[in-house]
Amino acid sequence: MVTLSDREISSAIIESCRSGDRDAFRALYDMYKDQVYSISLYFFHGDQGVAGDITQQVFLKLITNIGQFRGDAEFSTWLYRLVVNACMDAARRHKPGAAISDRHMETFAAPDSQEKDYAREQMAHSVRAAVSTLPPKFRIAVLLRYFEDLSYEQMSQALHCSMGTVASRLNRGHKILAERLKSLGSTK
Amino acid sequence: MNRNEAEQVKFGMAILTHLPKAKAPEAIWASIEAALTSRDPSRDQRERLNKSAIHQWRWAFAGMAALALFAVTFFSVEYWRAHPLGTRWEVVRIDGSPAVGARHFHDAAKIAAGEWMETDSSSRAGIKIGDIGSVEVEPNTRLRVVTAKPGEHRLALARGEIRAKISAPPRLFFVDTASGTAIDLGCEYALSTDEDGSGLLSVTKGWVSFQWQGLESLVPAGASCRTRPHLGPGVPYFDDAPDALKQALEDVDLKRPGFEKSGNNSLNIILAAARVRDTLTLWHLLSRVDVSDRARIYDRIAALTPVPAGVSREQALKLDPGTLNHWKEELAWTW
Repeated sequence: MVTLSDREISSAIIESCRSGDRDAFRALYDMYKDQVYSISLYFFHGDQGVAGDITQQVFLKLITNIGQFRGDAEFSTWLYRLVVNACMDAARRHKPGAAISDRHMETFAAPDSQEKDYAREQMAHSVRAAVSTLPPKFRIAVLLRYFEDLSYEQMSQALHCSMGTVASRLNRGHKILAERLKSLGSTK
Repeated sequence: MNRNEAEQVKFGMAILTHLPKAKAPEAIWASIEAALTSRDPSRDQRERLNKSAIHQWRWAFAGMAALALFAVTFFSVEYWRAHPLGTRWEVVRIDGSPAVGARHFHDAAKIAAGEWMETDSSSRAGIKIGDIGSVEVEPNTRLRVVTAKPGEHRLALARGEIRAKISAPPRLFFVDTASGTAIDLGCEYALSTDEDGSGLLSVTKGWVSFQWQGLESLVPAGASCRTRPHLGPGVPYFDDAPDALKQALEDVDLKRPGFEKSGNNSLNIILAAARVRDTLTLWHLLSRVDVSDRARIYDRIAALTPVPAGVSREQALKLDPGTLNHWKEELAWTW
């Protein structure tokens, strides 16, 4: 998986974005759109509509506020923070516990998916379902850690909290997941 | 969480790591463009602006700009006169008669970048570190505020002891000492030092990174790390580690003659006494010993806790930064 930190954002692109260059924005969007959309999609139980809204909001905010981006911070950290804020704001607006629709979950099973093994696919479905039932704070922490492969330090910057809080949220997320996976496993 | 549940979560998280990325629908960009266009007049629209109208207002704009420039300059000068070298932090007396510069204070005072604070044997004080936390200054301490900006809060501890309580993202609070810099990673800790840099860092919550000339010790809650002049941070250890381990670490930190030799007795003691959570100490030792001892340390860690996927013996012994970092993050579950 390619992570944000593996990519290099040239200062020239950022500079062009600052001066309002629409092509530079498009280049930036193309680099990160799938990343932002995927986090939002997994965060919102596979709801493509909400994920699309979040992606739009994140990039609009990015484009509008690119002048505030300080070059000394890593661009990916700033972007992750925008994604986290957008997801958490939207989670507050949406009713919790939305049903996990199979139709939505099929979204994840891309035709070129590597999950050929049936049992593994079932497990993947269970994991996605379990993650989607986590409280938003723990859900975003688990997604950033495992789906995005961020370090504790990167997470603490994206979530704007201490590393101790990151560890605590992950730990509590794990405990809830253990319960959920047990119950999901027992219903199969 | 029992062992089975932990395994199940671990397996589940491994699956999460390999979930595919979804493709963002193209329609999203169209909606972004539409929103941008509605917010910002297009170039065509701007070109349609009446040039003569601009002419009429040119002098008015120039006058307003000059006025604004004057106001900004005036208020900036006044602000910097009132707040030299950045923000001033509040300080409060806890005991005795602490001093900021030459002024002793009895209730509260302010301290700015460049100013010293000093406590005598019967004084204690508290400093409010911007809006990210606080520091208690223990008796017989002398420190200076180096930087007091929202993006960097930095103290220089010349001697004595401080207790820091910081609640902020990592790398916003720093304490310089003669033997290195303590970098807050979101935590609570006590740091003491002599004027020559001999001291002790003890962390009670979160993590602290102590750095000196490229050498780094990561100290989690419940652990400590000695600091020494010209040697920087020692190898961190848990406060509840076996005494034999802590004693043997002195040899490592002081680089006593014979330690570098392969198969030395201090390392034998450390390896024999180490518990699972002492992999904190062993992981740090990896990069501070020669290759043959490194292999012994690797084997000991592997015997204490399974080596995670993505960590190979070869890469670990080569001190590959990515491998060591990944291993540390996995080991950290036991710290």
